[in-house]
Amino acid sequence: MREEIKGNWSEIEIRNVSKYFARVVANKDVNFTIRKGEVLALLGENGAGKSTIMKILYGLYQADEGSILFDGKEERIANPKDAMKFGIGMIQQHFSLVYAHTVTENVILGAMRGVIPYAKAKEEVESLASRYGFDVDADALVGDLDVGVQQKVEIIKALFKQTTLLIMDEPTAVLTPQEADQLMEFVRQFVADGHAVVFITHKMKEVMEVADRIIVMRDGRISGDLRKEDTNEAELSRLMIGRDIVAPAKVDFEGSDHERSGLVVKNLSLAQGKVKLLDDISFHLRPGEVLGIAGVSGNGQEELCETICGIRAFDSGSVVLDGVDLSELSLRERIEQGVGYVPVDRHRDAMIGSMSLAENIYLKFSTDGDWNRRGLIDTNNLRQKTLESIEDFDIRAPGPDAPAGNLSGGNQQKLILSREMRLAKKLLILNQPTRGLDLGAINNIHSTVLKARAEGLPVLLISTELSEIFALSDRIAVMYKGRFMGIFSPRELNTEHIGLLMAGIVPDDMSHVAGEEIRAEVV
Amino acid sequence: MGKRIGASTRDLIITNLVAIVAGLVLSGFLLLFLDINPIQVYSSAIKTLFTDRYMAAEVFLKATPFIFTALAFAFTYKANLFNIGAQGQFYLGSVAAVSVSLLLDGKIPTAILLVVVFAATLLAGGLMGAGIGFLKARYNANEFLTSMMSTYVALAFMNYLLRTVLKETKGEYPQTDALSEAAWIPRIVPGTRLHLGFVIAVITAILIWVFLYKTPLGFRIRAIGSNARAGELAGINSRRIFVIAFLISGALAGAAGFTEVNGVQRMLIQDFNPDLGSAGIGIAILANANPIGIIFASILFGAISVIGTMMGRMPGINVPPSIVSIIQGSVMLFVIAAYYVRAMIGIRRDKKRLKREEA
Repeated sequence: MREEIKGNWSEIEIRNVSKYFARVVANKDVNFTIRKGEVLALLGENGAGKSTIMKILYGLYQADEGSILFDGKEERIANPKDAMKFGIGMIQQHFSLVYAHTVTENVILGAMRGVIPYAKAKEEVESLASRYGFDVDADALVGDLDVGVQQKVEIIKALFKQTTLLIMDEPTAVLTPQEADQLMEFVRQFVADGHAVVFITHKMKEVMEVADRIIVMRDGRISGDLRKEDTNEAELSRLMIGRDIVAPAKVDFEGSDHERSGLVVKNLSLAQGKVKLLDDISFHLRPGEVLGIAGVSGNGQEELCETICGIRAFDSGSVVLDGVDLSELSLRERIEQGVGYVPVDRHRDAMIGSMSLAENIYLKFSTDGDWNRRGLIDTNNLRQKTLESIEDFDIRAPGPDAPAGNLSGGNQQKLILSREMRLAKKLLILNQPTRGLDLGAINNIHSTVLKARAEGLPVLLISTELSEIFALSDRIAVMYKGRFMGIFSPRELNTEHIGLLMAGIVPDDMSHVAGEEIRAEVV
Repeated sequence: MGKRIGASTRDLIITNLVAIVAGLVLSGFLLLFLDINPIQVYSSAIKTLFTDRYMAAEVFLKATPFIFTALAFAFTYKANLFNIGAQGQFYLGSVAAVSVSLLLDGKIPTAILLVVVFAATLLAGGLMGAGIGFLKARYNANEFLTSMMSTYVALAFMNYLLRTVLKETKGEYPQTDALSEAAWIPRIVPGTRLHLGFVIAVITAILIWVFLYKTPLGFRIRAIGSNARAGELAGINSRRIFVIAFLISGALAGAAGFTEVNGVQRMLIQDFNPDLGSAGIGIAILANANPIGIIFASILFGAISVIGTMMGRMPGINVPPSIVSIIQGSVMLFVIAAYYVRAMIGIRRDKKRLKREEA
C-alpha cells in the first residue's frame, strides 16, 4: 500500500521565514517562491543558510517565524513525512542509505506499509532508472556502489515517492566532472516533465549551467533573486560574498636552489586485504614547490597523507624527507622533525572543540620544552603565541580562551593552519584544506599556502576542487584507486583531461606525457 | 562574554539548589507515609548541624573519603575513561594502611609512620588502577567492566586476609587488631573526630586541579579524553595515558583507605565503608568532574549523610536508616536532571538574545 501524495500544487511560497540557532541566526526574513517547471538554484557560501531554509521546507527543522504556503494556502510541515505528502523530496549532502540493503530495499524504505510486493517494487525501480537513463542494478547492495551511483539511488528513492519537488544539497561535491554533467542532464529532463528542482550549491559554474532562476543568500538573508539571463557570474559573486575577492598572485616555480632535498617518495604501497590503497607511488617534492593531487576523494589521498605523517604504516617503498628516512620515526618524532599536516576531517583529527584556541595550538607542542616552564604549561607564552595566530591568520574569535568549537568552520581551519605552519619546518601536507569553507577563508588559506611555498617549504596539496589545484600547484598529480595517473605541469592539462584521469582513463593524446613524467620522477 | 559566564554560573547554583531541595521534598513524602513529619525532622536535624560542633565536624569527617573517591572517578573521567572500581582500590588502600601501621607502629615516629602509610595506600590503590589501565591499553579490555569486577576481587582478598594473617590476636572476629595511638591521624578540632585527613583531601583536590589544567601531562590526559583521535594524531600516546590516568585514579581511591583506617576506624573490619565508591561517582557527576567543585559536593554529601544518621537517632521517632540512601539517591537524580535543565535554559537564553539583537 502506498501513501497518497498531494503534489499537484503549482507554487510554494516561503514567506518571512526566520530560524535561530543558539548562537547564530540561520535564516532571517527569507522570502521566495518555488515554481513547477523551473530549476531554482540556491547560491551562497557555506553557512549562508541555504541548507537550513530547505531543511525547514523538508520538515527537518521548524521555523521560528514565518510560514510556508502551497498555492496561497498555509500548511504546517512538522516532519519529512508531511513534506513527502506534498511531493517534496530532499537529497542530503550526506546520503541517507542503508548500505547493507539492496537498491530496491533502499528505495521502498519508508514508502510502503504492510506486505511488500518486492517483485513489483523492483520492476518499478528498474523502470524509473531506465526512464532517466540511470545505469543501476536494482538488486545490488548499496554499499558496493560508487558514490555517483549511490546518488542515483537517492534520486530514484525520491522519484518512487512521487516527488514533484526535488531538493538537492550540493549534489556535485562527490562527483567527477562527467558524472556531474549526467546529473545536470537529469535535472533538465525532470523539470521538463513539469516538476521543480531546488539546487543548493556554492559553485557559480553549475548555477549558470543549470538554473532558470537564482536565489543568492548571504548571512541567512536573501541578497538576490534573479533570472539567469538577467545576470552574470560577476554580479552573483558580488551578491554572494558582498565584496570583491582578489585571487592570490603566484610566481612560477623556477626550480629549487635550496640545500635541502625535500620529500622523496619511492614505490610506496599499502594494501588492505586484496584492495590496494596505495599502489606504487613515487614522486619528488622539492622545497618551495606545491604538488597538487587531484582526484575524487576516497582514492587513496588520505592514506597517502597518513603514511607520510606516520599515522599509519606502509607495506613497502620508502619515504625520505631531507635525507631522513621517515619510516624509522614515530608520529611524534615526525611532528618534532617539522612535518605539518592539516587533515580533511578537522573535527575528528585536528582539533578539540571543547578546548580553547590556546589549548588547540598547544596540542602539538605539549612535549616541547619551549612551551613549558618549571613543569607547568607556560601560559603567558602560550597566550602570546595564540594572540599572534589570531592576528596573523585573521581568526575571528572572542579571544585565546574561547572554545574552538564555537568558531565558524573557516576560523577553525585558520586556527589549525596557524598551528601547523608554526611546526612545519620541513614539510606541509594539506588534505582538502578549504572544503566547506566560505570564500573569505578560502582566500586566506590560499595565501598562506603560497606564503609557505615562498618560504621554501615543500607543500603537498590534496584537493577535489580543480580550481584550487590549478590556482596553487606547480605540478599536478591525478590519483585514482591508490595510483598516480601521472604527474603533469598545469599547462599541459585541461579540465576534461583531469576529469578522464580522475575516472582512471588516460586520454589518448596524453599517454606519452604521463609516462615520461613518471620515469623522470623516479631518480 | 563576562555577562554570559555570570549567567551560567548563576544557573549552576540555582538549579543545583532547586535539585537538592526537590530531592529532600521527595524523600519527605516517603517520611509522610511513615506518619513522620518531614519538616520537623529536617529542621531539627539541620538545626543540630549548625549548633552542635561535634555534628558539624562529622560533616567534614564524612566528606574526607568522598573527596578521594570522587577525585578518583573524576580523574579518569577527564580521560574519557570510567573507573567504577574506586571501592576496590579503597579496599586495597585500607589493607595497605592497616598492614603497614600494624607492622611499623611504635617502631618509628608518628609523623614518619603516617607518611609511609599514606604512600603505601597510594601505591596499593595505584597499582591496582594501573593494572586496569594496562588491560585497557594492552588488550583493549573494557575498563568499565574490569574496574567494576576488580572490586569483588579486592573485597575477597581483603576478607581472606581478615580471616588469616590480619585476623585479630583474640582470633574471634574477622577483623584486625586496633592500631595503637602512634598510628592515628591527629585530630584538628578538639572534642570532635575531625582529623588532618580532611585538610590532606582538600590539598589533594587542589593539586589535582593544578595537575589537570596547568601541566603538560594533565593537558595530554584531557586532550585524549576530549578527542582521542585528534590527540593521537598530535603525537600523544593514548595507551600510556590510559595507564597513567588509572594509576593516579587508583592512588586517589587508595588514599581514602589511609584517612578511614588511620583517621576514623583505627582498625580494619569486614564490610568497611561499602558505599564510598558509588558515592564518589555521584559526587563527581554533581561537581561536573571539577576537582574544586568536588570539595563542595563532598561536603554537601557529608551533610546529607550526617543528617540521615541524626534522623535515625532521634528520640521517639522511628526513621528507618535506609532513608539516608533514598535522600542521597533522589538528590542525585534531581542534580543530573538539573544538568539538562541548565542546557535548555542556556539555549533558550541565547536564542532570545539573538532575536533581540536582530530586531
